[in-house]
Amino acid sequence: MLLAYRAALASPRIRACAIEATEFPTLADSLDVRSVPRIVVNGVPQWDGAVPERVFVKRILAAATDRRPRVDSRE
Amino acid sequence: MPVFRADEEERVRELLDALDRPVELLVALGPAETPLPGARDVDFGAETERIVAGLAALSDRVSFRVEDEPPGFERYPGVAVLPDGDDPGVRYYGLPWGHELATLVGGVLEAGRAASSLAPESLERLAALDRDLAIDVFVTPT
Repeated sequence: MLLAYRAALASPRIRACAIEATEFPTLADSLDVRSVPRIVVNGVPQWDGAVPERVFVKRILAAATDRRPRVDSRE
Repeated sequence: MPVFRADEEERVRELLDALDRPVELLVALGPAETPLPGARDVDFGAETERIVAGLAALSDRVSFRVEDEPPGFERYPGVAVLPDGDDPGVRYYGLPWGHELATLVGGVLEAGRAASSLAPESLERLAALDRDLAIDVFVTPT
């Protein structure tokens, strides 16, 4: 989680939210959250579990070009 | 019930007092999602406010305020971490209890740093980002 916060603090283009899955079950179910941490970028689930910083940055940047439709209910 | 154990409290107090810049916590209250069975007696908003107040009480470097459905929040309760009054988009949604209290404290400590704790290579790569990214990390308190 802290890597996401660090990324948001470092870039004006990034925002980062921790979401307590058990308290928002409808949203968590829509994103098929079964284990935590589950990382979702722009409404598209990307991966589960903690990763090193280098991998984290690589994956979120790859997610920036992910064309799959968002699956949460925000938009 | 105290927010921190005595030994934890002293450590968190030291860390907060060492912040490079002040951090404000905005607690957003509003309609919560239908509580899970067994959680009906917990007022998540009031409890979030109590925890954030307990955190802010540890240091002059940390303050907090509470608003009802302020703009910039997608669900409630939520906490925005605002370094120097700016909003870099750092949020915690839900009650930050148990293991997740450390997430909120970590967010405050990161926000209070004058310089990023990311590696220079990471900062370089993020600086090249040409579109907006909303990162949601689902967590549980246990």
